[in-house]
Amino acid sequence: MRFMVIVKASKDTEAGVMPSTEMLAAMGKFNEEMVKAGVMQAGEGLHPTSKGARVKYTGKPAVSHGPFAVTGDLVCGFWLIETGSLDEAIGWMKRAPFDGGAEIEIRQIFSAEDFGEALTPELREQEERLRAQASRK
Amino acid sequence: MRFMMLMIPKGYETAAPGTMPPADAVAAMMKYNEALKNAGVLITLDGLHPPSMGARVSFAGGRPLVTDGPFTEAKEVLGGYWMIDVASRDEAIAWACKCPAGPNEVIEIRQVQEMADFPEDVQKAAAGFGGKGN
Repeated sequence: MRFMVIVKASKDTEAGVMPSTEMLAAMGKFNEEMVKAGVMQAGEGLHPTSKGARVKYTGKPAVSHGPFAVTGDLVCGFWLIETGSLDEAIGWMKRAPFDGGAEIEIRQIFSAEDFGEALTPELREQEERLRAQASRK
Repeated sequence: MRFMMLMIPKGYETAAPGTMPPADAVAAMMKYNEALKNAGVLITLDGLHPPSMGARVSFAGGRPLVTDGPFTEAKEVLGGYWMIDVASRDEAIAWACKCPAGPNEVIEIRQVQEMADFPEDVQKAAAGFGGKGN
């Protein structure tokens, strides 16, 4: 099972405050453990919403520019991990070297199997081709 | 420049476990995904099961605290994402505007941090963090 671990933004991440050297070293070590265990597939940080935008689709797409209010729902980074269960994913993330206030959300990623018969063989082939050909940069 | 397009479907915060997107919406999205791929901008994409099937871990009290979904205080949640590689934020916004999204949906465009964005001392300390694991 694949999971997306969503790291929530805070006032600090939105202000562009960088983590300390100690935090980065601890996070590097944690990532290395997950890679060695074959759990971690990707992990990225996102620039603050001040450099971002939103598009709404009521009628014509309407663009608004960041920053957006820190509501507890904003994102500042993520991991993609693969484990045997949600509990195993939670087990890994309990070991993440976060300090006070940090919050993460663990969400299961859809797989082709989840769609059952709605995903016809043709659609499934299209999906697989798409993934194989998407430019890996 | 790499950007994430974060799909935020209003109402998904209260979706029941096992909720699936409707087939016609999936078909329209597949077409859009093909267009992204054919333009050479698509890196990867994923859809997420509802938050009612997920969990949150908070680190406020020094000890990790696990909460099972759904998360009653959430006003908006992710439904999925695209990772794209384009020349500018404007180009990313233009791609988002082409998405066959519904009136209940918002796409947030966020630039991905690259190692080169950080000062040298941070780059050294961060070796191994934020990099692609695959």
